[in-house]
Formats: sequence, C-alpha cells, structure tokens
Amino acid sequence: MPAKSKRRPISYHLVNVGILFLALFAILPILWTLYTSLRTNLSIMRYPAQISFSELSLKAYTGVWRDTNFPTLIKNSLIVSTMTVIISLTLGTLAGYALSRSKFRGRQGVLLSYLVIRLVPGVLLLVPMYIFMSTLGLLDSYLGLTLAYTTFTLPATIWLMKGFFDSLPPDLENAARIDGCSRMGALWRISIPLVLPGLAATGTLTAITAWNDVLFAIMLTSSDRTRTWPVGLREMIGEFQLPWESLTATAILSLLPVVIGFSLVGRKMVAGITAGSLKD
Amino acid sequence: MDSKLLVGAPLRKFKATLEGKYFAWILLVPSLFMVVAFIFYPLYRGIYLSFTRTILLEGSGSTFIGLENFRQMFKDPLFAIALKNTLLFMVVGLITQLALGLAAAMLLSQERKYIGLIRVLVVLPWFTPPVVTAYMWRFMLDTNSGVVIKMLEGIGISFGPAGLWSNADLAIYAVLFVDLWASYPFFMLFLLAAIQGIPKDMRESTAVDGANAMQHFRFIILPLIAPVIVVASVLGVIHLINSPTLILLMTNGGPGDSTLVLPLLAFRQAFQAYDFGYASTISVAVLIAIAGFAMVYIKFARFGKED
Repeated sequence: MPAKSKRRPISYHLVNVGILFLALFAILPILWTLYTSLRTNLSIMRYPAQISFSELSLKAYTGVWRDTNFPTLIKNSLIVSTMTVIISLTLGTLAGYALSRSKFRGRQGVLLSYLVIRLVPGVLLLVPMYIFMSTLGLLDSYLGLTLAYTTFTLPATIWLMKGFFDSLPPDLENAARIDGCSRMGALWRISIPLVLPGLAATGTLTAITAWNDVLFAIMLTSSDRTRTWPVGLREMIGEFQLPWESLTATAILSLLPVVIGFSLVGRKMVAGITAGSLKD
Repeated sequence: MDSKLLVGAPLRKFKATLEGKYFAWILLVPSLFMVVAFIFYPLYRGIYLSFTRTILLEGSGSTFIGLENFRQMFKDPLFAIALKNTLLFMVVGLITQLALGLAAAMLLSQERKYIGLIRVLVVLPWFTPPVVTAYMWRFMLDTNSGVVIKMLEGIGISFGPAGLWSNADLAIYAVLFVDLWASYPFFMLFLLAAIQGIPKDMRESTAVDGANAMQHFRFIILPLIAPVIVVASVLGVIHLINSPTLILLMTNGGPGDSTLVLPLLAFRQAFQAYDFGYASTISVAVLIAIAGFAMVYIKFARFGKED
C-alpha cells in the first residue's frame, strides 16, 4: 500500500464506502438497541428521530435486575455454559489430539462421522433427546441441558482442536518423549500450553453456542431452577408485555458476555471455523 | 514404552496400554461415547419413532404403524404449506446471503487501515444470540414505533396500517431480511478465507477501471473460489433449513401459516400437540433433504485428501 499516493482511483473510495456500509450495517442495530435501553422516556416516539444524550439513564437496567428474575436466568445460563465448555473442551482436546497425532485404522471414519454429525438437523434430535433425558431423569436439570449442548458443540470442538494441533510441529513432543516424558505428559506439558490461544477460542465458541441456544432450552427446561435466559426472556415478553426499554436492556445485558468473549478471541475463533470446515 | 508389566499393578498396566497402540482409541473413547449415546442413539430413535404412533398424552408408549405417518404427512395441507415456505426461505435466503457475503468478502479482502478490526466487527451479528437478534429487529421494524419503519415511511415506503408483521405476503421476507443480517457473515468468512488464499499477485487486479475489475473477478477470482462457494452454500442451506429459531421467535409461523417452515411444524407437533411420532416423521423429511446437501458438502470439502 503506497503511503500517500496523490490521487487514488475512484474505485478505491467506492471500496471504502462499501466497507463503511458493512460496518454500519453490523453495528448500528446494536447501537440503536443500546441507545433505546438508556432512554428514560420512550413513550414519545419522535420522527425524525432526535438523538439526545441528556436524558439517558440506567433505570431500565436496574429495573430489570431488581424486579424480574433475569439474574436467576443469567446465573442458570452461566452455569450451563461453563459446564458445557468444561466437558466439551476436555473430551474435544483428547479426541482432537488423537486424530491429529495418530494414524490408526478407522481414523478417517471417525473424522467423517464427526463432520457429518454437525449436519444432523437439531429438530430431529429434539424428540428422542427429550424422551432420553426424561428416562435418565435429567429433564429440567443443568446436567441434562449440558449434555444436550455438548453433543452439538463436541464435533466442532474436535475439528477445531485437531486443526490447532495439526499446526504444531510434532518435534517438540518427540524431543520430550526422548527425554522420558510419557505421551500424556507430552500432551499436557508441551502441546496444551502451545495451543492455549486455540483452546480459548474454541471454548469461547462453545460457550456462545450454549449461551445462545433457544430450542433445546425451551424443550429441556421447565422451571426457574434451570431455565436459561433466552427461554425466560421469551416468556417475560409473552406474559408481561415488557416495555421496550426493559426489553432492550435485557438484550444488551445478554449480548455483553458474547461481545466480551468475541473481542478477546474473535479473530482466532473465526480463523478456526473456516479452517475446520474446509479441508484443502 | 514401559515394557515391564507387573501383574497386579493395574495402574501400570493401564499406563502401558495408554502408551501403546491403543493410545488414540483411549483418547477417543469419551467423545465417542458421548456421540453414540446422545446423537447416534437419539437419531436412531428419532427415525424409529417416525414409523410409530407415539402421543405423549395418551401415555401408552409407541405402536409400530409402518408408513402411516408418512401417508398422513403427504395428505397434510400444513406439510405442503411448510414445505413451500421452507423452499422459499431456503432459495431466497441462499441467494441473498451468498450475494452479500461474496460482495462483503471482496470488499474486506482489500487492505485498509483498521481492516482487521472491521473484519471481526462485521461477523458480530452471526454470534449475536438469536433471541437478541429477533427482538431487536422486531423492535426496529415495529409497526407503530420502529425506527426502520419510520425511515422507510419517510422515503415513501409504507406497509399499510396493519403493518409488516400482519402481512402474509411480506412477513417471510421480513424474517429473511433479519436472517440476512445475522447469517451473511458466515458466507463472508468462508469466501474471505478463500480469497485470501489466492496468491497476492493474482488477487490484485492491475486494472483501475470498473469493467476490467469485473472481468478480473469473473475470470480469475471466481473460478478459484468456486469450490469454497459450493461448501459455504451447502452449509448455509443446511443452516437455513435447520434453524427455525428466528422464525419461532419473530412470527411463530404467522400471520396465518405464511412463515410456517418444516422444523417449526415438527416442533409444534412435538411440543404443542405432543404427537412425537408425526413430529419425527416431519423431521425425517428434513433429514432426507439435508442428506442430499450433506453429500455434496463431503465431496467438495475435499474430505480425506488432507494427508
């Protein structure tokens, strides 16, 4: 890129306009939601919309936090997401490592089945999963929801972790093995520390998947004991006709963890997803 | 490694097995167990249920009735409507998301200041919780107070007094628009990765005028990223068929049945009518449709050529 060319072709500026449009398209709806959640008087809808920053307050947030069961819903979601991340990452790291480092008979079959599982329609699993969880006595429990989420986060986790291990040179592990380290020891002491960024990205992706889910949560939870925020919010909207500022405040609150996780490891996450789905 | 096995020292023995040729399988067992127990088994049960009469409230278990559910499905007017809506949703969704995704990938493959930041920012909608996406857009597209509706009215586009969401012809396009916002970044990601994989000297058009830039895109870029377009399209279509979440939250199939899609119909049959057998039958229909796309995906994702 020439630092300062005197005249840039018009296409250069058109591209800039396009990029600006994309950025605004992504972010403006979220900013508008944020702005609405901070407004004090929503009853007057003005057009053309006058944006005024003088009458902003956190009233809607304190209201939602104090007067609804939203904090409980958030707590439930945090617990289920954390449990899903722990199980998914543990199992996914072991499997991903095995598939990356060992050549064994049946490897292609295992890889293919993990790929295909991601294409199974969730709605087909809903009914049998409900029956199964009911048989196991896991309906309306953290564990039941966690196991359901793990099944559809695990295949992606395995593919991502396999990709991250693939990009590590095996020499370091081999050296450790010669020095008397066991295979598990080499994985734990040499490889895991090196894939920590990948692990963080995969964990965040898993957490977001569990955090965002609606369908399985509607089906597998039935009380405030385990209900996650998407289900609770849907019911609050149905029952109480939440005013817009409360609705937008809950939306921003529940989006916050996603944005934080995303801003920390978003780039790595995004790179892993494309690499994991394209094998050429 | 450890060749001296001591009889009666199970830990040693386990360690030795761990080091030996079963190393990979031992690491794989926990995840395989999860997948078999919570995907393959339910999948098998789901397919089996589609051949049974299983109605939860009757509480009499399930009776095998062969293809009866499938016969019922083909006679069900709601199935026909849902199939039609699913196809519309799939085709329009794919075209719009692919087109915008491709355009965005081309734009974002250019080098600019802060482009790295923008590339990540643009993907945020894809990770936004569907509940947030759905209610945020319902709010902005609200008939009485929605900012987007007001802006459209300002330039002379109006959806009548009943509004966008009561219009049986338009509601599905409103959901499609919201899904475009949420899902096109997925296409963009794949296509951007593909474009960035093209060697730099081939990627950059020497031409400055628009016509040559189009030719450069048509004859150099497009053929090189074609396989990735296929893969992204297949995954995108599967996502479009599979996820009734936005529709469930935004219109719940209405107005009338104008946004009823197959997974939503299955969901209703299961958790409103408690007809688990018929719900499974509809899900199997979805599975069959997806299986076709899945095969294309496996073929084009170059699976197995990695070594």
